[in-house]
Amino acid sequence: MIRRAVLVVLGLVWLGPTYLLLVNASRPAGSYDPTRAWAPSADFSLFENFARALESADLTQSLASTALYAIVSPLLGVIIGALAGYTIVVLRLRHGFFWFILIFGGTVFPSQMLLVPLFVGYSDAGLYDSRLGMILVYTAINVPLAAFVLRNFYSGVAFSIFEAARMDGASTWRVFWRIYLPISLSALTAVFILEFTFIWNDLIFGLTLTQTADVRPVMTAIAGLMTDVYAGTPVPVGLAAGLVVSLPTVVLFLATQRLFARGLSLGSV
Amino acid sequence: MLGRFRHGYVAPAVLLVAGLLYAPFLWTAYLSFTRYDGLEPAQWIGGHNFAKLLEDPALLTSIRNTLIWVAGTMVLPVGLGLLVAVLSYDIRGGAWFRVPFLLPYALSGAGLAMVWSPILSHDGIANRLLGVDTAFLQEEPVNTVAMLLVWTWQQLGVNMLLFVVGLQSIPKAPIEAARLDGAGSWALFRFVIWPLMRPLTAVVVGLALVASLKTFDIVWVLTQGGPGRNSETLAVTMYKETFVASDYGYGSAVAVMLTVVTGLASYLYLKRQVAR
Amino acid sequence: MFRSRVVTLGVAALVLTACGGGGGEQPQKKTELTLYNDKGAWTKYFDEMGALSKQSIGLGMKPTGYTDSAQYQAFIKASFRTDVKPDLFTWQTGGMLEEIVRQKQVAETTDIWQQAIQAGDLSKDLQPYYTIGGKQYCVPMNVAYWGMFYNKKIFDKYGLEAPETWDDLIKVADTLKKNNVKAFYHTSVLFSFVWFEQLLAGSDPDLYDRLSTGQAKYTDPGVVQVMEKWKSLIDAGYFINPGDKTDPGDVLKNGKAAMVSFGTWFNTSMTQRDLKAGEDYDFFVIPNVNPALPKTSMIFESGPLCSLTKGADPAANKKYLQWWTTAEAQEKWATSRGDVSANPKVSIADKALGTVTKDAGSGKYRLVNRYFEATPPPVLTAALDGFGKFVTEPGSYKEVLDTIQKAADEYWSTHQ
Repeated sequence: MIRRAVLVVLGLVWLGPTYLLLVNASRPAGSYDPTRAWAPSADFSLFENFARALESADLTQSLASTALYAIVSPLLGVIIGALAGYTIVVLRLRHGFFWFILIFGGTVFPSQMLLVPLFVGYSDAGLYDSRLGMILVYTAINVPLAAFVLRNFYSGVAFSIFEAARMDGASTWRVFWRIYLPISLSALTAVFILEFTFIWNDLIFGLTLTQTADVRPVMTAIAGLMTDVYAGTPVPVGLAAGLVVSLPTVVLFLATQRLFARGLSLGSV
Repeated sequence: MLGRFRHGYVAPAVLLVAGLLYAPFLWTAYLSFTRYDGLEPAQWIGGHNFAKLLEDPALLTSIRNTLIWVAGTMVLPVGLGLLVAVLSYDIRGGAWFRVPFLLPYALSGAGLAMVWSPILSHDGIANRLLGVDTAFLQEEPVNTVAMLLVWTWQQLGVNMLLFVVGLQSIPKAPIEAARLDGAGSWALFRFVIWPLMRPLTAVVVGLALVASLKTFDIVWVLTQGGPGRNSETLAVTMYKETFVASDYGYGSAVAVMLTVVTGLASYLYLKRQVAR
Repeated sequence: MFRSRVVTLGVAALVLTACGGGGGEQPQKKTELTLYNDKGAWTKYFDEMGALSKQSIGLGMKPTGYTDSAQYQAFIKASFRTDVKPDLFTWQTGGMLEEIVRQKQVAETTDIWQQAIQAGDLSKDLQPYYTIGGKQYCVPMNVAYWGMFYNKKIFDKYGLEAPETWDDLIKVADTLKKNNVKAFYHTSVLFSFVWFEQLLAGSDPDLYDRLSTGQAKYTDPGVVQVMEKWKSLIDAGYFINPGDKTDPGDVLKNGKAAMVSFGTWFNTSMTQRDLKAGEDYDFFVIPNVNPALPKTSMIFESGPLCSLTKGADPAANKKYLQWWTTAEAQEKWATSRGDVSANPKVSIADKALGTVTKDAGSGKYRLVNRYFEATPPPVLTAALDGFGKFVTEPGSYKEVLDTIQKAADEYWSTHQ
């Protein structure tokens, strides 16, 4: 009971700013008053504000490519990372710690500093403004994270599972694909969520490495609405823009909640 | 033969990381020894930029703020994330109790600033609720702490999710055994659950360590490191020097220092936690 | 060159199927140009311009927008070294333009300017900002004149009128203060320089010009006096708290401050909030602090639209820039955003802004280049931080000026 009470209280605190977001995004654009930001408005203009935010961005064209990056790159990243983690921990790769540190080391670089050299390298290699280039860079960013999470996840899985499967004559790849990937579904999903959100909200790589509208991430114009003083965007419209951008991520959260519902109990097999 | 392809299996990961993350950084490392404005050819000036680092008073503030970020991140987003995960993982409908904590994670940086501005503003909502009169984003180090709270609001959900994964992977048998032995819930957590979820705890702490050392986005959207540089982190200093002031050489030197510190800290941490 | 080759190697190793690309440097015939810009939020307006140009000169245009101008500038500079070249791109006047002109990257536009001035499409007053070494480069993408937006309802309530002199302005501020209304807006983030430039330009515009070219120091008595003046205004309680994070558009709308100083583009914030010019709000030119000056100093800002010397189709680029300056193009560009135009022929719907534009074009004011463009980036960075600190702690002005001067010393010691 105490557990539920603590969760509810904390949850309500967390919902406070979310409430502000919803209330003010639903307010008519002309009637925002920051000193009364918490008071709900009598008029409900959420959809009007949505429409105004969307008007500035040609979503139809580039929604597909953003979706492609946000789904394909984490999928690739998760599998490549999981495979590396599996090899290091379960297959007991020689100098495993070195290889692990090498891969994880990819996270320590400040991403802002990678932009200019990546752009120059991409334009020399003919990858600038290509979907392939975007998928590659996003996958690279995702791999270290996935490798770390899955490496540690697999280190908690009983080794007997592996031995039993090998005894049955399964190849190392098959053991990975048929046994280790499925049992780590919740870990894979957690990493996927993280990476999907990152790519979906990413502006810096998307803007620097692409040019044409059907390769660019979709959120440029909408993000500009929220940050650029020259746009003069009223706060409710800016917030509605923020909401629009977040919707796919929220849907993903809700859709995957079931996976995190109960214990899976693996080690005891 | 235990898998001939062992090195082949790590190859894609290593190649991607080396080609697209390590290689670009080599350029930054090179620039840190030059004077460069992005246009005229870079001029080799040896260790001059690093010597300048030692004398830069603003850097001390950046280091202090970055340390606040690291320490604060361990306590708040990580600590509270653990609390929520432990409280919710095995109760009925626990997943739904977690939704409020996940929602903020979907919000982008610019959206975050818009939501929190009326709260943290002078004469904003926080002042009214607390009955005080402070400009939360102006004075140091209050502004860093205020931004840390905003960050907690946004990031707790991810840490919580990873902790839940850790909790899920714990075998049921030892827990049942401890329960039968009459262990209380604290003892159960401290002596059975906590040690067993260590692999995932190491992940959360390791990721948070790296991310907090590189704190940038939230500071950039809320204060741009100001007023008067008093809320700058190392990453903000690096960004400002490189892109805003077009002093690529000095900015790169800050980047190299930040990278070395981050690399070293995570190496030391992981060596203790992970290496066998 | 060592530089980026490592990256190229790394990337190439990953992609066995390098898509060839690049190709020869043959000039091609283009029917659609790309326009790189740091105004991601204006994508819609750029698109409309592209459709219009396609119709009238058979040359389309597609915008590629960025949202962070610092990153944008780094990207454009880097693109000079690659095969990825923008056809058209937005930039900044002042030192930033000089820098890339010196590198021979920017195509000359002297004949476009001559024709446009003759045809009355561009004002001669703008020319100096686009002139380097006697030649013109780029054309104005946008222009803005800085002044004071004020809440008309509040002014009417207390029987106030737009001030003609500095003393009038202070009287207005005093009246507002007596009625517990904050007169002025200021901020510690990004636009912290606004009052500094206004007070300095209104006291000694020559000093302002010398300061931006490194011929004067931030520690000179004239500059110190300006800071003291600014401090006295803050101490008098005319300003709202700089820690107020409210959007300036809402500050003015809700009367948190009765006056907000911005460029004419701030009008977009007003119209986006359904406010009516002349009824809810209005605009006046800020009078000089020093009444002895012959002309009123007016802060002026203009963003250039440029093309490259080594562009893919220089003829098309030129044709586009030429079209951009025409009344037909500018009419659309200005009215769709509710802004003013660089073309004096364009009629501005808003009365107050229309008057300002016309007056500015006829030489009534002394135009002063905005601090943001006039100051070299490293000095600007130090100054924005410094002024941000100052508005939070006005007592620190001496220390702030010392810090800015230190950055200036370092910059000017390696430049010129």
